[in-house]
Amino acid sequence: MNFDRRKFLCKTAHAALGASVYSALGNLQLVHAAAGGYSFSDYKALVCIFLYGGNDAFNMVVPTDNAHYAQYQTVRPKVALAQNTLLALNAPGSGAGSPGDGGTYGFHPAMTDLQTLFNQASSPVAIVANVGTLVQPVTKSQYQNGTAALPPQLFSHNDQQAYWQSSPPSNAPITGWGGRICDLIASANTSTLPMLNSLAGEDAFIRGDSGNNYIMNAGDAATIDIPDSWDTNPNNLKSVFDALRAAGTQANALERTYANQINHSVNTAAQINAAINATGMPKFDSFFPNISSSDVDRQLSTVAKLIWAANNGVAGYTGQKRQVFFVSTGGFDTHDRQLPIQPVLLGTLSRSMAGFYRALNSAGLASKATAFTASDFGRTLSCNDDGTDHGWGSHHLVVGGAVAGGRFYGDNASYTGTAAMPSLALSKSNPNDAGYGQIIPTTSVDQYAATLAGWFGLSASDLALIFPNLTNFSVKNLGFV
Amino acid sequence: MSKTVRFAPRWWRGVALPLAAATFFLGTAHAAGKTYQPDSLFLIKPWISGTPAEASRFLAQTTFGPTDADIQRLVKLGYLSWLDDQFAAPPTRMLDYLGWVKGTLGEDLETNHVVEAWWLGALGGPDPGNNTLIHRDQLRQRVAFALSEIFVVSTKTTLIDQFPNGQAYYYDVLVNDAFGNFRQLLEDVTLSPAMGVYLNMLSNQRTDSTKNIHPDENYAREVNQLFTVGLVLLNQDGSPQLSGGQPIPTYTQNTVKAFAHVFTGWNWADCNPAAHNNFSDCDVNWTTGANMQQPMVAFANYHDNGTRTPDDLSGKQLLSYPGAVNGGLLVDGGTPQSDLKFALDNIFNHPNVGPFIGRQLIQRLVTSNPSPGYVQRVAAVFNDNGHGVRGDLKAVISAIVLDDEARNGAKNSPDSFGKLREPLLRMAHIWRAMGAQHRCGHNKVVTRSNGSVYTEHYSSQPYRYAGWYSAWSTDYLFNQRVMYANSVFNFFRPNFVPPGEMVLKNLFGPEFQITTDSQIADVTNDVLPRAMWLDIRDTCNSNDDYGNVAIDHLRDLALAGSGQGGPADPADRLVDAYNVRFMGGQMSTYMRTTLLNYLNRIDHYWGSSTQDWRIARIQRALYLIFTSPEYAIQK
Repeated sequence: MNFDRRKFLCKTAHAALGASVYSALGNLQLVHAAAGGYSFSDYKALVCIFLYGGNDAFNMVVPTDNAHYAQYQTVRPKVALAQNTLLALNAPGSGAGSPGDGGTYGFHPAMTDLQTLFNQASSPVAIVANVGTLVQPVTKSQYQNGTAALPPQLFSHNDQQAYWQSSPPSNAPITGWGGRICDLIASANTSTLPMLNSLAGEDAFIRGDSGNNYIMNAGDAATIDIPDSWDTNPNNLKSVFDALRAAGTQANALERTYANQINHSVNTAAQINAAINATGMPKFDSFFPNISSSDVDRQLSTVAKLIWAANNGVAGYTGQKRQVFFVSTGGFDTHDRQLPIQPVLLGTLSRSMAGFYRALNSAGLASKATAFTASDFGRTLSCNDDGTDHGWGSHHLVVGGAVAGGRFYGDNASYTGTAAMPSLALSKSNPNDAGYGQIIPTTSVDQYAATLAGWFGLSASDLALIFPNLTNFSVKNLGFV
Repeated sequence: MSKTVRFAPRWWRGVALPLAAATFFLGTAHAAGKTYQPDSLFLIKPWISGTPAEASRFLAQTTFGPTDADIQRLVKLGYLSWLDDQFAAPPTRMLDYLGWVKGTLGEDLETNHVVEAWWLGALGGPDPGNNTLIHRDQLRQRVAFALSEIFVVSTKTTLIDQFPNGQAYYYDVLVNDAFGNFRQLLEDVTLSPAMGVYLNMLSNQRTDSTKNIHPDENYAREVNQLFTVGLVLLNQDGSPQLSGGQPIPTYTQNTVKAFAHVFTGWNWADCNPAAHNNFSDCDVNWTTGANMQQPMVAFANYHDNGTRTPDDLSGKQLLSYPGAVNGGLLVDGGTPQSDLKFALDNIFNHPNVGPFIGRQLIQRLVTSNPSPGYVQRVAAVFNDNGHGVRGDLKAVISAIVLDDEARNGAKNSPDSFGKLREPLLRMAHIWRAMGAQHRCGHNKVVTRSNGSVYTEHYSSQPYRYAGWYSAWSTDYLFNQRVMYANSVFNFFRPNFVPPGEMVLKNLFGPEFQITTDSQIADVTNDVLPRAMWLDIRDTCNSNDDYGNVAIDHLRDLALAGSGQGGPADPADRLVDAYNVRFMGGQMSTYMRTTLLNYLNRIDHYWGSSTQDWRIARIQRALYLIFTSPEYAIQK
């Protein structure tokens, strides 16, 4: 362990003790300085599918047994789905992999594709129950009495997005755990191409210290097109454009940042596009029936292509042993008219995630990528007339050939391998209800993320570096992948 | 106008002016009255007029981009009378434009027409329905656009997209109130149907425990978090107040809950709840959309006034701060209207509003990283315009653009001053400065789903800024179009920090959030057609239904050269003119030399023996300036 690495650990450990936890990762240099030593012979990809707005997973995974369904129907009468429309999930009824409350559950009726995959032998679909932002485990009384450390600004979209993606958010500027993973294992890739690609714009998840990322369009990396063929002048248009963006010629930090951004774009785009259009690329688009209208389908199809490129000796991608992708879809902030809106949201998500798995599976790559959902927060178990409000804990989906699917996962008080589905009782009598329908998470984002990062190959000590609050939870690996 | 001598209004503090001039000013009459009214005597202030380059910088902050004519006019008038003139200029309203499209032309309304209306306001100039009417309310439009990025409503919500008149009504609220009082703006935004739909205050109702429903918290949260006070207590200079090294939350979840209960009982203006089983079953008027342009109205039965047990929330504790009326505690038993008034007053009077809104308006107009002193000076004017009025936006805007930091920041903090120009502002700038017009569209008969027909009029409409590529679909290329943000958090957030050097220097760069690797390529590529290819004299393509917007290259022919081109006929005049027009005279020597070395060689038009070679110089000068990092940052 070198000096910087110790310093980082020391700061992190100190920070985890108290309120200053939010500045634990304030020094961007530290994770980067700690990096090194990773090399992998196999290939793996992590794919974060961020559901902007806060997905109402209490209508995504719904009780089907009579007792639990009755509670569900009572607690959210105006947005409850009909019992006989739910898509049954064949998870174990008790013990490891079961929901943990003795009940049975089904998917939202629009999620037929994922239901099929969940119920198949060697299932690639896992459900992780009641995940959310936590500093430490929290009980209802601790929450209501204010005696537990809590994430800042619960129920606020952008703060909770930031927490989910950075866990915990440092003081500005934030780094995300996707970015920090890539900082730590940068040495694993010998390729000069960025390890992390966002196909969904800029957000905290992709931010690391090293800037080892590339933000592209859903279907391609845009290239700057200069008509230098018009211009045979030796001092041609392109060369002048290049001169004006050249490093060291700007006198203002914002100008330099803009120039760097152009340079980064120019240096990377052509290689990425060549990979997407490489000879022999399978027709992955055909696995996404909504690709003409669904942005997340376009994003996931492109991700599949880049994964294929890294596994098939495509120029520039031969040295890519680890890749992290950030994709997203929006519209999940269902305050209103949730019943008509949700079939579109969840049906699309189901087809997209299943399409991604099937696309990779068709090329023998299914076990190399793990896709997982993330979202601002869950929504309230209770409803506001025809919608639901900003909540906290939420169920999440993990899909991939390496996933031990067909099961429920999550932390519970006495870890027995079952999940911990939250109570569906009315607020006052619900031990998981923070007081107004917001469900207190029983599994932290850190546990969820560390399980994924562990599969990715990070050492236990580096997981502790990246997720400073993981130490507050006894279960460090949820076992779903 | 009153000539009573008054004390200097507070928006003058921090304004850059020579001592003698300040003395002159302080001895000058100022209009009395509750709202700031610039004095007509300000019309002659030789000491406040700048050079053309300084005027161009001022116009980059206050308009959709300097033009030569505006620069000359500002140099003649001086900043103060220019502001006077802008405050008095008649507002360009979207509903007027939509009225022409629907009423005069007989077309069915679409969101594209709202985009056309936005361009008309942004570009200014002749009205398409009445060419003698000249739209010149640039400052109002620029401020309204800034407000649309704070009080965000987005057509990504389907119901809003379906009602262009509702979008226009909402944007007109921002246009109308841009020079009014912030309290009025807050109320008009709150009661507008578009915002009601977007953040769910429309049809929000009191708790009904028999249905296990509670009031929707969306508007309650965002009106505090994003529109007015923000998450943490601020010092007046915009820095967070700290306790034990940590920021102090402005409010709690219980505060949000209390506001959510206050914001209940409002619905479509023509709602008749008795005709429905549920309050939320009242609907937009799908035939006329009329209720999309009427403020929401109150229905007391659905409003929580704290008195009806067990469902009402008794004793709603709103924002608590020194001086808050009744400590922010709402007394039970009010009407929907009186409770709303109390709640909006409670928010409006919170000490955070001045620095919170002041900083964001500075960021939208002037610089991403205002100094604490700059924020404090603007906040002070927000708190009191000098006549005891809080929230006077005219005074706030004047304070922002006349502040010493706005005028001299580039000189005093050359490394960090300025902001990345938003894609739409760059696009508007080149169009405004280069005499853009719409051309090449057709009149096309459209058949409605019921078989009836109407005609779209895009032929010979130079001031109807339309076309898929050039005007309507900027979101596709730029991640930006008016009222098209992904969420209420706008296209970008005020505290975004781009990777790299700005992290180490603690510099914010909000607009960099949409400046991704691909977007920067798209924005750069977009300059090609906009600067080089499309000219208003081009031959039209008969396939183009809607036409496009093109610029007038020939207006600068005389600047581009007088002889045969090449080094003997150098491009100095063109580069120097563009330096002032586009870059506020701030082009570096390196950039000027690099441009001249290239442009001076040009002596023919590639691929054409008939085109004037000077057009090649103009096209290339525009391309290189508009793609350059130096231009990208407004300083």
